[in-house]
Amino acid sequence: MKKSAATIIREYGPFPGAERVNGVTFDGEHVWFASGDRLNALDPASGEVVRSIEVASHAGTAFDGTFLYQIAEDVIHKIDPKTGRILSTIPAPGNGGDSGLAWAEGSLWVGQHRGRRIHQIDPETGKILRTIESNRVVTGVTWVDGQLWHGTWEGDDSDVRRIDPETGEVLERLEMPEGTGVSGLESDGADCFFCGGGASGKVRAISRPAQGKEGKGK
Amino acid sequence: MDSLITAAARALAVGDALGALKRVALRDDAPALALRGIAMAQLGDLVRAKALLKSAARAFGPREAVARARCVVAEAEIALVSRDLTWPPKALEAARKVLEAHGDRVNAAHARNVELRRLVLIGRLDEAERALETLDPTPLPPAAKAAHELVVAGIAIRRLQTKAARAALDRARQAAREAGMPVLTAEVENAARVLSAPVARLISRWRESPLLLEEVEELLGAGALVVDACRHVVRDDQLSVSLATRPVLFALARALAEAWPGDMARGTLIARAFRGKHADESHRARLRVEIGRLRAELQALVEVSATKRGFALSPQRAGETVVLAPLVEGQHGAVLAFLADGEAWSSSALAIALGASPRTVQRALDSLAGEGKVQSFGRGRGRRWMSPPLPGFPTILLLPGPLPSD
Repeated sequence: MKKSAATIIREYGPFPGAERVNGVTFDGEHVWFASGDRLNALDPASGEVVRSIEVASHAGTAFDGTFLYQIAEDVIHKIDPKTGRILSTIPAPGNGGDSGLAWAEGSLWVGQHRGRRIHQIDPETGKILRTIESNRVVTGVTWVDGQLWHGTWEGDDSDVRRIDPETGEVLERLEMPEGTGVSGLESDGADCFFCGGGASGKVRAISRPAQGKEGKGK
Repeated sequence: MDSLITAAARALAVGDALGALKRVALRDDAPALALRGIAMAQLGDLVRAKALLKSAARAFGPREAVARARCVVAEAEIALVSRDLTWPPKALEAARKVLEAHGDRVNAAHARNVELRRLVLIGRLDEAERALETLDPTPLPPAAKAAHELVVAGIAIRRLQTKAARAALDRARQAAREAGMPVLTAEVENAARVLSAPVARLISRWRESPLLLEEVEELLGAGALVVDACRHVVRDDQLSVSLATRPVLFALARALAEAWPGDMARGTLIARAFRGKHADESHRARLRVEIGRLRAELQALVEVSATKRGFALSPQRAGETVVLAPLVEGQHGAVLAFLADGEAWSSSALAIALGASPRTVQRALDSLAGEGKVQSFGRGRGRRWMSPPLPGFPTILLLPGPLPSD
C-alpha cells in the first residue's frame, strides 16, 4: 500500500447560507455540493456559486452525465439539474446510514458510513447488486479511470483511499492534514479530487497522484 | 456524518426535537444515541437523556474523542440542571481538556461554564471566581453567553457587588436577545428583578425602611455598626462576628441595636431573648450571664453597658447602629441565617451547627421550602440546602452542538 500526504490545491468557501458540505459531485463544468437544503453549483475556476437547487441534501451527491443523484434522509433522489425537479426516488441501501454517492458503469455506488462498506445498487430500483467491505467509515465515494476511491473521517483522522473493488483491500492512501476532514468525494475525471469539508463549510481540491501503468484495479 | 444523522442534527438545530427523534428513533449507533439523548433532554426527559448520552459516549470509537467529550459535557449539564451532585466533576474536567486539545473552543468554553455553574450552585464562590478568570466567554454562542453572564451576575449578587451584577445582567440581556430565545430573556428578566426589589429592611432608631440590594451594599460600606439579622452577624466596616450558632446572644444584640442610642429594659430583653412573659429573679440572673457572654463575643465591636433599667450599646468605632432585617421574618430565622452565607448545607450539618434536633431542622427546612425561601438539590444523603434561590441557573439546557465526529 502506498501512503502519502494529500496535497491541497485549492480551498473554496465557506459559502453564505451553507454551513456544511455533505456531498460533492462534478458535472464537467461545475462542482455541485450538498449543503443540507440546497444543491449548489460552484464554478471551480472563479470559486463562485453560480446557481442552486432547493432540495434536501443530507449526504452524498452524484452525476450520471445527465442527472444529479442526491441522498436525503433515507432515500436517493434523481434530480434534473436544468429544472431542479425530482424525477424519481429510490430507497438508500443503508436506511439513512448512507454517506457517499458515486456513479460509474451504469450503477450507483453508495457509501454506508458506520457500516464501513460500499454498496453497488441499481439506480432504477435501489436493489443492492453487491457490497464491498472497507475497514474504515466511508464518507465519500468516487470512481476514476477504473479506480475506486473513498474518503474516511474519524475524529481527527481523515484520508482519501483507493481500494480494490473486488476485495476491499486498501491500495493507496492520501492522508489529509489534521483537522481537515473529507465529507464527500468526487474526481474531476483527471488529476484532481474535490472533497467536501463537513462542518467547515469548505470544498477542497486535492491532487490525485500521478498514475503508473497499474491504473486499473490491481 | 451520514444522511439521517445530518437531517436529524438539522432538525435539532432549529429546535425540532421530535423531528430529530423521528429520524433516528430506531438507531443505536453512537451519533444516533447522542442525538436522541440531546433531543430527549430538550423534551425534558432528563433521565432517559442521561442514559442515552452515557451509552453514546461508550459507543463512539477510540478515534472519536471529541464526540465522546461532547457527550460527557451534555451529561454533566443535564446532571447540573437536575441538581444531581453525585455526577463526577473530574469527568467533566477531562472532557473539557480533550475539547481544548482538539481546538473545539466553543464546546470547551461551554464545558467550563458548566463547571462554573456547578461551583456557584454548591456555594464554592471563591473557586468559582478563580474559574471565572480562566474562562474566555468570547467563543460562546449567544445563548451560552447569556447563561454565563447570569452566573457572573449570581456571583456578584452573592458578593453584594451591585454594579458588577447590573453590568453582567445587561450583557446577559443583550446575549439572550441575540440568541432569539424568549425563554432565556425571561430568565434574565427574572434574575434582574433581584436588583429592583427590596431585599431587606433597615431598622434604625425604631424606624423601618425597605432596602434595595445596592442600598445594603452602601450600608455595609458606610461604617455603621450593623446587626445583620439576615446572616446573624454583627459587623462594622472592619470586623464581623458571627452569632449564627448563638440565637439567644443574637436576639439580645438585635434588641439592643433597635433601642440604640437608648437603652432597653431588662424585662423587654428577657421577653425578646428568652420568650418569657414575666421576668422573675431566675430570668434576671440568666440575663446577666448572657449579657456577659455577649460582651465577651462583641468586645472588639461594641461595648455593652448596664443602665438603670437595663442595658445599652455603644459602638467602639461606628457612629450609627442599625439592624438589617429580612423582609419577612418567620419562625425559622436561625436556619435562614445559616443558609444566607450561600453555602450548601446538609440538614444534619445544620442540625449540629444550630444545636437543634435533626427533626426540628428538617421540619424548618420543609416549611421554608414550601414558602420558596430555601431550595434543595440532590437526593438522599447527598441532599443539600441553600438560600436564597440564586439567579444564574437557566431551567433550559444549552447543550453542546451536534455530536457526531465532524
